[in-house]
Amino acid sequence: MITRYILRRFAIGTVQLLLLVVAVFFLIRLLPADPVSRFVGLNSSAEAYAQAERNLGLDRPIMVQLGHYLGLLPSEGPGLLQGSLGTSWVTGSPVATEIAGALPVTIELLTFSFMVALLVSVPVGMLAALRPGGAADKGVFVYSLFAGSQPEFWWGLLFVYVFFFTLGWAPAPLGVMSPLTSAPETVTGFVTVDSILAGRWDVLGEVLHHYMLPVATMVFILSGPIIKMVRQNMVRALASDFVLYARCAGLPKGRVAMYALRAAMAPSVTLIGILYGFMLGGAVLIESVFSLGGLGQYAIRSVLAFDYPAIQGVILIITAISLLVYLALDLIHAAIDPRVAY
Amino acid sequence: MTASVLMAAEGLTVGYPTAEGVVRPLQGFDLTLREREIVGLIGDAGSGKSTAALALMGLVRPPGRIEAGRVALDGTDLMSLDEDRLREMRGREIGVIVQNPRAALNPMLRVGRQIGNVYRAHNDATAAEARARAVEMLRLVGINDPERRVSAYAHELSGGMAQRALIAMALSSEPRLLIADEPTSGLDVTIQAQFLDQMWDTVQKTGSAVLLISQDLGVIANYCDRVAVLHGGRIVEDRPVRAFFANPEHPYSREVLSLQRDAAGSGAERRTGPRGEAPLLAVEGLKKTFPIPGSAKVVQAVERADFTIAPRETLGLVGESGSGKTTVGRCLLRLEQATEGRITFRGQEISAMGARQMRAMRSKMQIVFQDPYDSINPRWTVRRILREPLDLHSKLDAPGKDRRVRELLDMVGLDPAWVDRKPRGLGSGALQRLNIARAIATDPDFIVLDEPTSVLAPQAISGLVALLRRLQDDLGLGFLFISHDLTTVQYLCHRVAVMYLGQIVEVGTVEQVFQDPQHPYSRALLAAHLFPDPASRRVEHRPPERLGGEIPSPVDLPEGCYLAGRCPHALDQCRIEPQALHELDDGRAVRCWQVVDGVLEVDA
Amino acid sequence: MADASLDDRAGAASTPRRRVDWLFWIGVGIVSTVTFLAAFGPVIAPYDPTLAMHPPSVPPPSPADWPGLWWGRLTGEIEAAPNWFGTDANGFDLFSRVISAPRVDLTIALAANALSLGLGIFLGLIAGYYRNVLTEGLMRVSDVLQSFPVFISAMILVALAGRSTLNIVIALALLYTPIYIRLTRSEVLTQRVRGYVEAARALGNPEIVIALRHVLPNSLAPALIQSSVTIGFAILLTAGLSFVGAGVRPPAPEWGLMISTGANQIILGEWWPSVFPGIAISLTVFGFAILGNALERRYEG
Repeated sequence: MITRYILRRFAIGTVQLLLLVVAVFFLIRLLPADPVSRFVGLNSSAEAYAQAERNLGLDRPIMVQLGHYLGLLPSEGPGLLQGSLGTSWVTGSPVATEIAGALPVTIELLTFSFMVALLVSVPVGMLAALRPGGAADKGVFVYSLFAGSQPEFWWGLLFVYVFFFTLGWAPAPLGVMSPLTSAPETVTGFVTVDSILAGRWDVLGEVLHHYMLPVATMVFILSGPIIKMVRQNMVRALASDFVLYARCAGLPKGRVAMYALRAAMAPSVTLIGILYGFMLGGAVLIESVFSLGGLGQYAIRSVLAFDYPAIQGVILIITAISLLVYLALDLIHAAIDPRVAY
Repeated sequence: MTASVLMAAEGLTVGYPTAEGVVRPLQGFDLTLREREIVGLIGDAGSGKSTAALALMGLVRPPGRIEAGRVALDGTDLMSLDEDRLREMRGREIGVIVQNPRAALNPMLRVGRQIGNVYRAHNDATAAEARARAVEMLRLVGINDPERRVSAYAHELSGGMAQRALIAMALSSEPRLLIADEPTSGLDVTIQAQFLDQMWDTVQKTGSAVLLISQDLGVIANYCDRVAVLHGGRIVEDRPVRAFFANPEHPYSREVLSLQRDAAGSGAERRTGPRGEAPLLAVEGLKKTFPIPGSAKVVQAVERADFTIAPRETLGLVGESGSGKTTVGRCLLRLEQATEGRITFRGQEISAMGARQMRAMRSKMQIVFQDPYDSINPRWTVRRILREPLDLHSKLDAPGKDRRVRELLDMVGLDPAWVDRKPRGLGSGALQRLNIARAIATDPDFIVLDEPTSVLAPQAISGLVALLRRLQDDLGLGFLFISHDLTTVQYLCHRVAVMYLGQIVEVGTVEQVFQDPQHPYSRALLAAHLFPDPASRRVEHRPPERLGGEIPSPVDLPEGCYLAGRCPHALDQCRIEPQALHELDDGRAVRCWQVVDGVLEVDA
Repeated sequence: MADASLDDRAGAASTPRRRVDWLFWIGVGIVSTVTFLAAFGPVIAPYDPTLAMHPPSVPPPSPADWPGLWWGRLTGEIEAAPNWFGTDANGFDLFSRVISAPRVDLTIALAANALSLGLGIFLGLIAGYYRNVLTEGLMRVSDVLQSFPVFISAMILVALAGRSTLNIVIALALLYTPIYIRLTRSEVLTQRVRGYVEAARALGNPEIVIALRHVLPNSLAPALIQSSVTIGFAILLTAGLSFVGAGVRPPAPEWGLMISTGANQIILGEWWPSVFPGIAISLTVFGFAILGNALERRYEG
């Protein structure tokens, strides 16, 4: 039953992605941007302009362009259905390769940030829930309201000023390792994993050091909504009839706490998934502050350069990953909560 | 019965801090329970009954706290125990079942695990022993197939089943006291009777005393030895059940019992309905099905209903939840489009009317809904609420409408000075009167009353029912009174139709149906109804007419008689042949071939 | 009044209300200040926020000097207004720019929110009240819109449509409308089956009257609560867009743009060009979050 459910979700997801790709394809071509003059310059000759337009394939009817992109025209070479995301107009290299190079940094940043944020926020949220309205709860409430509504790029800069410039504890905000370090052999593309595989502990240490500030910034931003949600779910669980009844039945304190905890965790899982998907696109600014060279920065570059294939690729990949994360967390949710049916 | 005292509460006081100061639902609550005794605790909604149930075990919902008092169990003061010892007492010495059992069960754990956890909290047992105990307890409380049910989750159980699981948990360590806090609220009457009988049998076996908290006087009269009345945070009356019903002392108790007394007293002067005239409303072959999204099947809500209502007559429509009685009412007013059937009102077929014509017709037929809070726009003032029907249908000028609004408030017994208030501050009884005022604003001939009393407190019910009778006499209204409360039906109606699973199974005068029901379902329904009369208690002579099992799903209905699966008289023919409503010689109609052919064997 | 002491203790225990109160007034204070600056900021600013006419990279005067400078200004001893927040690398007066920026930031946020709120409530009411193939289609479209990564989508829309204030407003409105459609629709779905709607129908009201007079006013709360949150996030998004170079064009006074200009200097220790506008954004968005939360509590409690 569970396999059928997963397969169905994949099928629906594929259709969703396809629709999304088509929508994005038309949307960016509807907007009044002129990528051709961006590449040849505004003062170029009509001839050079026409040549560039031909090179980009923009002279052909829009449906032909779409067919080409999707890979429905075999004579034109591989397209989306053959697994190709096209070629970047700026660099001329395959978009898929470029994204594969940028994606690991973003995933690492997000995963570290979520791990730390959960480690910090879950206990804090639960502590606040123990005595709703108590002093701890009030402080935590104001903090989470504040942290949940902050300009992350500015806090990143502030951290750089304090921890790099003033205190010197953090490295310069220029990527995940110093340009002088020789990178470990690329196996997975994730620098942390690769340096462990290669036994390069020095590189691992350096990379983690470089991740320190961006992760701290992100944890600060993430902790707001996570604490708020954990607190709310825990308060609700502790006030629920079945926790009261468990006390009426004389269950030991530890057992009652387990009842409440499990009930509070189940809804949190789904919300964390949504937050992860949201931050995939939202990490753009933090990557930019720390020049991490991840997917977000790739997106900025592509958008500002009117690099249509790259833009389409980025949106496709981000949405695909979000859908995968949602699916994984829905499965976890269903494993915790028997009321959720496939 | 001179058994020794099991529990004695003295001066129990519970306070909740709020912005306006401390609210004390209990203020000096005293109550004594003897061994093997069943004591009923009654009181208004919000009178602190549930707070008392918890406080007797030293528990309070946060942020409240027990401010004073002692609870002695076998002479030990629970309030002086430390939290650990107190915890041990809960569940081992005192078991609890609560209203809304499905919310009280942990949704994440299998029922057997939960029962086992409670058992292991008080007894030295392995996981396997605890599971065996869970199965044993589930069997004891009358759950079929307990080996399978131990692995069910709360959401997979019906309300009645969940309540049984809860009582299995509460009694697993054989406590000497069971506190049952409105255990049957939300259960249908036949299921309620099954459950209470089972509870009674079980406590007889385990020898527990019971504190039975209920708002339902029928439950109290039939199962309790003694009655305690909670009012204003303390016990105002505490007497044996017969003495209480015969001669209540406290004014509050008298008020609570007044409806029942009125009902008993009015039997003689109840008018037989004004039959014979052309019917006000006639329904022929009414059918309503609801499609199930993503499926070819349908939910059958009403099947081939036929009945008439005469001018100035009240027809009662009774049945359990899911019987389709509410759908009938909604179809009559075309709030729901009937799938088939003809509805004729004052000679005009309204089932075929166009939207505009129907809107005009609505001034002559109205409806009052079950939930008075829900059926009034919360943002509007009383004036605006009552002006709405006048704006739609009357030709009065503005001052005329204003006068009419005040007149309406006066007619339903509300203070005309309330015109500028919003519904928020009004109680449920006042709101329901407002709903009635709105319904009669345009001088209708016919009103559907869809369980108008079911969420009201007992004394509000008696006032409302009296109001309805008065309005019927003064304005010449015809009523369709939909209810599951047979006591009110008996008082208000001329004739009654009994519904089961979308079918009318019996129609007759109130005397016919209540004194001598014919259809097996009507018999069971009447037998399961707990009339608040301690003279003929159910626990002393258990009526033979009992239905087994649960109500079938309205999606997959049986082929023959819908009751065949639960009916003690079912024969092979019943399971095959669909039943039709046949008129008998005395004017009533019954949907049962055994009754029609006179072959139904009934043990008197 | 033997229980007076008890009552006092209960009063202390119920301070959650009071806490919300002082926090609420902080929120009101912030939001009204920002609104005031949006109206009068450029008027009361000592210098034209779009003219670079000062020496570049001048640090702000130290707090110890502020009273003296104030007094000097008041008595007229100091003729030119000091650069309270210093100047940036281009020679703009930061104080003038910080207090003029709400006119850009708040206007964009309010306009985008008003557009999406109006459109979202209208479409949400229709989609919730009249359920048919058309409105189901509308919901699917809004699903797709909502599954876009918000920041990147905003970047694409603004960059490709042209970096103008109007385009930012349209882009944000487009991205926020689905939220309002969803919120309003789900509230309409619960309200339309309520008893008072049935009662209105039974009284003979036409459907359109029921939808507008009964259902709509009772379905507005979730969207209105959300709008306070949305305004805050719209300000963050506007600033973020400028920060990556896809927002309003310089030299418009806009907080994100100012932070972005200062970002290159902060590694060198020039903190002031980014810190002052950053504090402004931080407080503004916090203020709207407080109001949103207060509304939410009032609605739920």
